[in-house]
Amino acid sequence: MAVYQHTYQQYSGPSTPLWSRFLIIPRYAYKSVFQSKLFTGLFAVCFAPLLLMTILIYLKHNISVLEAFNARVSDIGFDVNGFFFRIFTSLQTSLGFLLTVIIGPTLISRDLSNNALPLYLCRPLSRADYVIGKMSVIMILLSLITWVPLLILFVFQAYLEGGSWLWDNLYVARAVFVISWTWIIILALLATALSGWLKWRIAASGALFAVFVVPTPITIIINEMFRSNVGTLLHPGFLMNMLMDKLFRMENTFTPDWMVPPTWSMWASLATLALICVGLLSLKVRAYEVVK
Amino acid sequence: MNASLAETPSLGSSWPLWRRQIVGILRLEIKKNFLSKRALPMYLLAAIPVVILMMLAVFDRGMQRGVRTNLSQAFIVFSNLHEGLILRTVIFFGCAWIFMNLFRGEVVDKSLHYYFLSAVKREVLVVGKYLSGLIASCTLFLLTTIGALFFLLLPRGLQANLDYIFDGPGWAQIVDYLGITILACIGYGALFMVIGLFFRNPIIPALLVYGWEWLNFLLPPMLKKISIIHYLHSLVPVPVNEGPLAIIGEPTPSWIAISGMLAVTAIVLGLASVKIRRMEIQYGSE
Repeated sequence: MAVYQHTYQQYSGPSTPLWSRFLIIPRYAYKSVFQSKLFTGLFAVCFAPLLLMTILIYLKHNISVLEAFNARVSDIGFDVNGFFFRIFTSLQTSLGFLLTVIIGPTLISRDLSNNALPLYLCRPLSRADYVIGKMSVIMILLSLITWVPLLILFVFQAYLEGGSWLWDNLYVARAVFVISWTWIIILALLATALSGWLKWRIAASGALFAVFVVPTPITIIINEMFRSNVGTLLHPGFLMNMLMDKLFRMENTFTPDWMVPPTWSMWASLATLALICVGLLSLKVRAYEVVK
Repeated sequence: MNASLAETPSLGSSWPLWRRQIVGILRLEIKKNFLSKRALPMYLLAAIPVVILMMLAVFDRGMQRGVRTNLSQAFIVFSNLHEGLILRTVIFFGCAWIFMNLFRGEVVDKSLHYYFLSAVKREVLVVGKYLSGLIASCTLFLLTTIGALFFLLLPRGLQANLDYIFDGPGWAQIVDYLGITILACIGYGALFMVIGLFFRNPIIPALLVYGWEWLNFLLPPMLKKISIIHYLHSLVPVPVNEGPLAIIGEPTPSWIAISGMLAVTAIVLGLASVKIRRMEIQYGSE
């Protein structure tokens, strides 16, 4: 075709709905993420506890298999209850943290250090879409190893147990859902905010660890010195554990009772952390940057 | 052959040149260590113990009542805070950040080749950078220790403190804590500089070292000696209770602890010098 015949026409094909445009970002991110053998291996390992959980639930309800091992239902020393789901939720969220440490730090830093943000934002994609798209890389993966399989296993257990188990333990499903989503949102926000501000991938991974490691002695010292529970509010890891205990209707597991702050203050503290991350992101994610 | 030997500067005549070069590197690096944006996390980290003890001096509740009246209890509190927070957290992470950034930071900024292209022996560069990191970390963390001690003693009033410092054991204890702080910066600094040089991703080794140092109280006496915190712990003037699970080991005599730490630091710096002689820069991979 001759050059003069090249004319620009408006695109007339089907356009992606506004609400789902951000999904283009995870689609391409997963292609590069799963090229890493380390990540793929770790992602596969994340399903091992779920497999174990499935086997345990199945064994608990399958008398013929137990008989093959010369065992009875009463020989199995656990109940499938809130505590059972709490342990596995805790395990899965911890594995989710490791996944985030691997994929989180590069999410935004690469775009920023290569000045690629204008390429995203000149398309019909808002800053919010961009950030949500980047966060959804983590959110979708973490959902796949936390609340989605755990709720499926909850339904599986309810089906096998029958009777009123489902209604009696509905709080467990709620706890799994709420804790998983809280953790996912906090991790996704922290990872993207740190990725935006620390362009060095390794520093961002280190900072993600530091957010959970550095406050530990600070929390303990403040609490012990002032005989107060205020220090706990500085530690997102402690807060998640305590909220998990509350939502699973369990006794406080890791710390003395006097260190547990009121529930509303724990939610407020996590919300403040999330807001700080949003603020940091809004400062950093811009189509252009003035370099002095 | 004789002529070329005569032209080669002897080791003795190189010292003034190396000294000048080290001073030049120090001038550049100290400015970076104190004034760059990367220094901000250090200031925040270093301020944490001071802020906690400032709150202790201001608010009158909890354990603080005993701390105000009972000086021995005050120093037990400080000893715990110094080891648990200042040494194991603030200095550990502070040195990790400062010393890993000495070379890795230059690689990230794509500026290390300027040093490598200049007529400076790489060993001299290692020493210069290490000293700059040491000056930055010692200044910051000594100020942290001094600030924390100041707010610990503040509620007791001037006269009581002067009596304690100059007529009691206070002066020796304060000098001990400051010395331990400097020794921690020397030890952790050398360790993290070498980790930053040997590993492209220094986070995992740094976390392993962190875990090892934290679990030191559980280790058998032989393994305790393969850590920095053991030697620092041996030097504290007010012993810290490590809890019911701790395996008690014989504290290392102070002269062995200090000279051993300095010797290990020298060896580690030697390793860093060997490594940097063969170092090639690949900016693209960072």
